[in-house]
Amino acid sequence: MTTADGTERPGNGGAAETAATGGAPGPAPRTGAAAAGRTRRGFLRGAAVAGTAGAAGAVGLVAGQAAHAGADTPAPRAERPVPFHGVHQNGILAAPCRSTAFVSFDVTADARADLADLFRTLTERARFLTGGGAPPPAGITAPPTDSGTLGPEVPAGGLLVTVGVGASLFDDRYGLGPRAPRRLTAMAPFPDDDLDPAWCDGDISVQFCADSQDTVLHALRDIARHTRGGLQVRWRLDGFSSPPRPSGTPRNHMGFKDGTANPDRADRRTMNRLVWAGPPSGEPAWADGGSYQAVRLIRMLVEFWDRVSLTEQERMFGRSRDTGAPLDGNHEHDTPRFAQDPKGDVIPLDSHIRLANPRTADTDRNRILRRSYNYDRGTDSNGNLDMGLLFCSYQQDLQRQFKTVQQRLAGEPLTDYISPFGGGYFYALPGVRNAHDWWGRGLLT
Amino acid sequence: MAETPDEQPPGRRWWQGRGRWLPPALAVVVAGVAIGTVTLVSGPDGDKESAAEAGTGIDVSLGTCGRGWSRPHPGTQVFELHNTMDRPAEVHLVNARSGAVYGEVEGLAPGTTRPLRARLGAGTYRFRCLPDDAAAVTGPEVRIGGPAHGSGPAAVPVDQHDLIPPTLAYQKWVGGRMDDLAGATDTLRAKVRSGDLAAARSAWLTAHLLYERMGAAYGTFGDADQAINGTDAGLPGGVDDPGFTGFHRLEQGLWHGGTAAALRPVADRLAKDVHTLRTNWATERMDPLDLGLRAHEILENTLQFELTGRTDYGSGSNLATARANLDGTRAVLTRLRPLLRTRYPHLTALDASLGRLEKLLDAQHEDGRWTPLKDLSRPDRQHIDAATGDALERLADIAAICDVRRTA
Repeated sequence: MTTADGTERPGNGGAAETAATGGAPGPAPRTGAAAAGRTRRGFLRGAAVAGTAGAAGAVGLVAGQAAHAGADTPAPRAERPVPFHGVHQNGILAAPCRSTAFVSFDVTADARADLADLFRTLTERARFLTGGGAPPPAGITAPPTDSGTLGPEVPAGGLLVTVGVGASLFDDRYGLGPRAPRRLTAMAPFPDDDLDPAWCDGDISVQFCADSQDTVLHALRDIARHTRGGLQVRWRLDGFSSPPRPSGTPRNHMGFKDGTANPDRADRRTMNRLVWAGPPSGEPAWADGGSYQAVRLIRMLVEFWDRVSLTEQERMFGRSRDTGAPLDGNHEHDTPRFAQDPKGDVIPLDSHIRLANPRTADTDRNRILRRSYNYDRGTDSNGNLDMGLLFCSYQQDLQRQFKTVQQRLAGEPLTDYISPFGGGYFYALPGVRNAHDWWGRGLLT
Repeated sequence: MAETPDEQPPGRRWWQGRGRWLPPALAVVVAGVAIGTVTLVSGPDGDKESAAEAGTGIDVSLGTCGRGWSRPHPGTQVFELHNTMDRPAEVHLVNARSGAVYGEVEGLAPGTTRPLRARLGAGTYRFRCLPDDAAAVTGPEVRIGGPAHGSGPAAVPVDQHDLIPPTLAYQKWVGGRMDDLAGATDTLRAKVRSGDLAAARSAWLTAHLLYERMGAAYGTFGDADQAINGTDAGLPGGVDDPGFTGFHRLEQGLWHGGTAAALRPVADRLAKDVHTLRTNWATERMDPLDLGLRAHEILENTLQFELTGRTDYGSGSNLATARANLDGTRAVLTRLRPLLRTRYPHLTALDASLGRLEKLLDAQHEDGRWTPLKDLSRPDRQHIDAATGDALERLADIAAICDVRRTA
């Protein structure tokens, strides 16, 4: 938090309490796209490509703490469209929506000019979808221009579309290498990871968030259709944000409130210091107003977790399961006082919240903005429930923030109960400034 | 008179060729050729209008087709078509000069009201009511004036009469391949009977690709296709089911250690079924409606069954099949092309799209060997899937345009 003299002091705005990892390898069942009946017409199939299930992963968790009670409680944005244009993408600071789909695409366009067309199309579709309206008639010249899953008129539905670019987009295909964000790399595994390459990285990330799943899926389907020849889904994970139970920050599949500690997104100075990247942080001019996006797909071994005593669970997180309060406090948003517990008698030294955010002057700059969701994708090959965390964080500097926090979490007790299996690093593009602007314009022109 | 179809549905796709994609509000539109002039239009229009707005009520009856259009105005709008006749009707909204259709409602039942949405610019329009079992009735001309406005998309409809020649030509082309096919399955049968299974595998691929090139999809060959080229889907006994016959049953045996003795009846049956198909095809009447549908259905099958590997029973020849299916798609397009030239403005881009797919598939064919699907690198597979998807999005428009519509 920012003090009166302008210096930053840890203690508020929880630090990055992120996921950890553990390496419980799981077999990766391959669900081939087996086709059965011969029904006519099936464009939808194209949108559901993420077929291969690779579930080997460890997971990471989160248990935040601190500041801004309720600030991140997902709230329906109702039918009111969220403004699409701005310096930053509006999906980055927005509180998590009820429903999301995180999609990593690979680009199949041949040339840079085609890539630019692709980004223009992506922008146009997102502009329409987030604003809502009546789809144009096709007359007799084509099938309907819209899937109709939201009715004859597309409601905005609180839709947010957030677009990022991965390190692979800057390979030799489009000659963009010299323009790459300075800190963007493919995601190297952390020691507790069990990454499946089929679920990692990608050229472009598109996250859809909305008040309901039908809005998310409608937008995904629309964008996949309009970019059919130029984008292929590499992997996709859908997620949701739970309602407060009974209050405060939503809970994850382990029963703990997840995301309590986030920097104050209403504080511009803090956001400029921790989230937004650009020339002041050493990035190219085109990247001004963007942010690094770290995505981690973290399986939670919930059956195993449910066989662990409550005390042990709470000591792993460092928080009370019921209230979300740190173990030395009474309320969710109480600030833990690690300094008064140097040996970890109350909050163990290797607990998640203590490693993730030690709340010292040195570690304040490591904090991240978490935008995580729960995911559920059926069962794995031995009948266990396949669910976990779709972890997403934004930060100005991957190394200084996400990776540093992740390294601190290495080997934490929680790693036995989670398995990160995928994800990637992306650079969330600057916002689309106005009706003539488009995502990536600065990068591609 | 030839009508230049106005445009693609706004916002359809990125790959029209560089820079061709334009948002609706900026779309440059070639409007209906009214008096031999071409009107270029740009600028905002009524696209923001709500679909829920009250539509213009239009009477659909023998005496008063189109009555009710009292306040003509440009922009995207809704007409509420009400059928007061005792029979169902088809209704078109047409450009009175060019005959291009801007919107249609099919099977409007007696006593019902259904909406028709269209985007209309300056021009002269009218409704055409086509009651079942009765001649078409044309409504009064309605002129939309004022500044030129973007209209469309629209196309001059294709009727049964238009489609009969290409359908016959296509049918004849298929018939012309039947002898080759029958010869190839006879050769395959002979190889199996000789016990030379390596030669049989080679003959299998030749014969199968001949069949796939003929564009069998969605019942072009009726039940014969299930016998000749069906999978074990839906069969209680799976690959061991006695109902599993034809190319894929033979493939299953040839690539899974089946003996010549065991495969002999399978090859006999396949050869016999193909001969029967050839005989029957001579008297078959292909529905003209099917020709346009084939334009996209052949590749829909490719995407669903070949590019997923669903139809692979060991030969690893899915990409060869995809390539043959592409030929089959082109055989359909070739026959439709004369109809499309004046109705579909993106033929060049479609050809480029199919050319891209062809190039990508051919790159997997080296020294007479096709890359098995499972050996494709991820980027290669993504490119093939993307190119197929891109072609399909375009071909879907061909099917829509070539739907059979009454014009009289």
